[in-house]
Amino acid sequence: MKPGMKTRTVAIAAIMLMPLSAMADYPERAVQMIIGYSAGGGTDIAARTLAPYIEKELGTDITVINRPGAGGEVGFTALANAEPDGYTIGFINTPNVLTIPIERDTRYELSDFQPVASVVDDPDGFNVGPDSEFASLEDLVAYAKEHPGEITYGTTGVGSDDHLAALALERLAGIEMTHVPFPGAADVRQALMGGHIEMGIFNIGEAAADVKAGRIKMLAQAASQRSKELPDVPTTAEAGYELTIGSNRGIAVPAGVPDAIVQKLSSAIEAAMNNEEFQKAAAQQSLPLDYQDPTTYQQTLQDLQARFQTLWDESPWSQ
Amino acid sequence: MWDSILSALPLLFSPAVLLAMAGGTTIGVLIGALPGLSATMGIAVLIPLTFTMDPLVALGMMAGIYNGAMYGGAIPAILLRIPGTPAGIATVFDGHPMAKKGQGLEAMKIALTSSAIGGSVSALALLFLSPPLAAMALKFGPVEVFWLAIFGLAAISVLLSDAPIKGLISACLGLVIGMVGIDSMTGNERFTFNVMDLMGGIDILVLLTGLYAIPPALTLAQEAMLLSRNSIGSGGRTRSGIGWRRLVPTWCRASVIGVIVGIIPGTGGNIAAMLSWNEARRVAKDKSRFGKGAPEGVAAAECANNADNAASLIPALTLGIPGSSVSAVILGGLLVHGMLPGPDLFTRSAPVTYGFILAMLVTSIMLFVIGRLGARLFINVMYMPPLLLAPIIIALTTIGVYAINNSLFDVWLMLAFGVMGWGMERLKIPLAPAVLAVILGPVAESNLRRAMLIGRHEVSYLFSSTIAIVMVTIIVLTVLVPVIRRLLTHYRGRPSKLAMASDPERARQRFEP
Repeated sequence: MKPGMKTRTVAIAAIMLMPLSAMADYPERAVQMIIGYSAGGGTDIAARTLAPYIEKELGTDITVINRPGAGGEVGFTALANAEPDGYTIGFINTPNVLTIPIERDTRYELSDFQPVASVVDDPDGFNVGPDSEFASLEDLVAYAKEHPGEITYGTTGVGSDDHLAALALERLAGIEMTHVPFPGAADVRQALMGGHIEMGIFNIGEAAADVKAGRIKMLAQAASQRSKELPDVPTTAEAGYELTIGSNRGIAVPAGVPDAIVQKLSSAIEAAMNNEEFQKAAAQQSLPLDYQDPTTYQQTLQDLQARFQTLWDESPWSQ
Repeated sequence: MWDSILSALPLLFSPAVLLAMAGGTTIGVLIGALPGLSATMGIAVLIPLTFTMDPLVALGMMAGIYNGAMYGGAIPAILLRIPGTPAGIATVFDGHPMAKKGQGLEAMKIALTSSAIGGSVSALALLFLSPPLAAMALKFGPVEVFWLAIFGLAAISVLLSDAPIKGLISACLGLVIGMVGIDSMTGNERFTFNVMDLMGGIDILVLLTGLYAIPPALTLAQEAMLLSRNSIGSGGRTRSGIGWRRLVPTWCRASVIGVIVGIIPGTGGNIAAMLSWNEARRVAKDKSRFGKGAPEGVAAAECANNADNAASLIPALTLGIPGSSVSAVILGGLLVHGMLPGPDLFTRSAPVTYGFILAMLVTSIMLFVIGRLGARLFINVMYMPPLLLAPIIIALTTIGVYAINNSLFDVWLMLAFGVMGWGMERLKIPLAPAVLAVILGPVAESNLRRAMLIGRHEVSYLFSSTIAIVMVTIIVLTVLVPVIRRLLTHYRGRPSKLAMASDPERARQRFEP
């Protein structure tokens, strides 16, 4: 045996055995959950609502840690670069987790994550004020064709799912509108209700209560099928435009976490999401739940990323 | 509505809710008093702990923290000239000079009473005037908010009177710092140097804590004492007494300003306090007293920043549109407890909703009692040996700033701002213009650009609403009246006493930075 060979063999054996031993007793200690957004925000509240139910399934404590900054990039980077032992999990939000690496150089890529479970999938809605002259998406598109650039639409920022939804509509319908970015969905809603903009694009979860109360009118929902909350609002496909886009929040771990741990986490999350109490809490927060197992979730993310990359290559949304 | 209020009362005065409100108010005062910690953070951390609580217990506690923190910020502002929260900056202007004159305890009493009054007026506005005020909130679009920010920036000019060039340097520095981060309109990075931690911009709390808390700590360590022992309020009976009755007009104006700024989305207690302080100074006969320890200055600032509290919940509760970052977090807390914002909130969940609104009122009154008891404790901070106080301030601010984003980068940034602030003090460059420019600059910029997009780059769009025209008129008058008066005096060749006093250039006020 050559010198050093023994150490190498031992090291390889140790590496091969480590996941096994880790897997057998996982979880032995508290799990960290990284949130790339501030305490008190939508993702944070959803995560903190869900965490106790996952704790119950896993039989261990979950510590929620907020690492806000750069549209989620700070938290995503921390998660991607964490030890792949299953003790650091975190929320990843689309489109940001996918679009940030497209827009600029980052210290993470999609392949640095191992998706575990999709939790919330909230499609975008095209909304107008209650007194708007537009009764349908077709009306709005027809007007925009005659008056290019005249329709102002508010979103939660450059590169947000809302913005990308509008860009996709512009491309599909061959129209041109004026983009007005706002800091958050509440600001867009305020500008829309106050009549300062013609259209506001935000997620169904953020619009449902106002639509039902008649404070805003939703022309179309960018979903593959009508939401349970808003069964009277046509989908974009019904209005003639094949376009599904929204914001997806799910849990991921750093790539390299042993498969057995990923599966165990995923089924714990699924069980937590099926808990009746949690479903009640989620309904109160208007969270459209959508569980996906690791394989499906990974596929969803990869498809989305390919779509965003194409969109960016054709017309980059930020300079 | 009276039925709902009456049905909420027994819930509100149950022992658990009362205890939660008192506890929340105490925690709030402490959070506000510690630089770096804010009501937003305190409530956000609390929300998950309240999942299993009775809704009104949780909401009562949040109401207490909110009201307590807005007053708490005044304590270090007065005693150590360190504003505990961004809304406490305007309190420093007159509060700390009062403490230096030996009226520290009086200043704290004025701050406390003014906070309690502002908070109560605001809660009453929330209780009785929500629907019309919410309708008004919707009228404020990008154009109107832009002019409001310009009005605030014009108020900074008042702070420049002593040394205009140095003040302008400070304000420009603030405008540049406010630009750091990803430009929200185009997605371009500005002054980020490819550093990920700078992309989201510089947190105002990091800047405020660095500029305001570190230099006094360094000075404390450097000199034997910041203030000598005898120079602080004796802690006993005040000889002259506080002219409470003279403060009533100030309170009225400050409450109205606070409530109006509160309901406008995107503006908070810091802007309310600044505008209110400026207004108190504008109407005063002898403007030169301001910035040198005028009780009205403390009353105006503290009354307005508490009057902002419940008012910022008006659009939040009725429309789901939070008026400030704290009300956004409280909105989250309401959602967790199954209360969906909207007009239905006042009918469907009436007992809890009215209970919460009344809790805003009750905690304002509780604040008065708790603060009164605490004032005598807090004033002892001044008797602490500076060699002990300086490291305590630095340790507490470091922890507080780390807790904002769980980021060590922010801690280093705060220390860098601390060194910068120390340098600025040495060069006699005032700090307040920089901080106000960081707060108002981005508000003015993004809303101007938003307005230009909506108005298709027609400048006339900026003057297209009644509110906008009224605000422009007020701004022009504020800026031009002193100039015109001086020109008139100059023309006639005999300076009148009145013109001297109202002229910011000649009034030669000295501001503690």
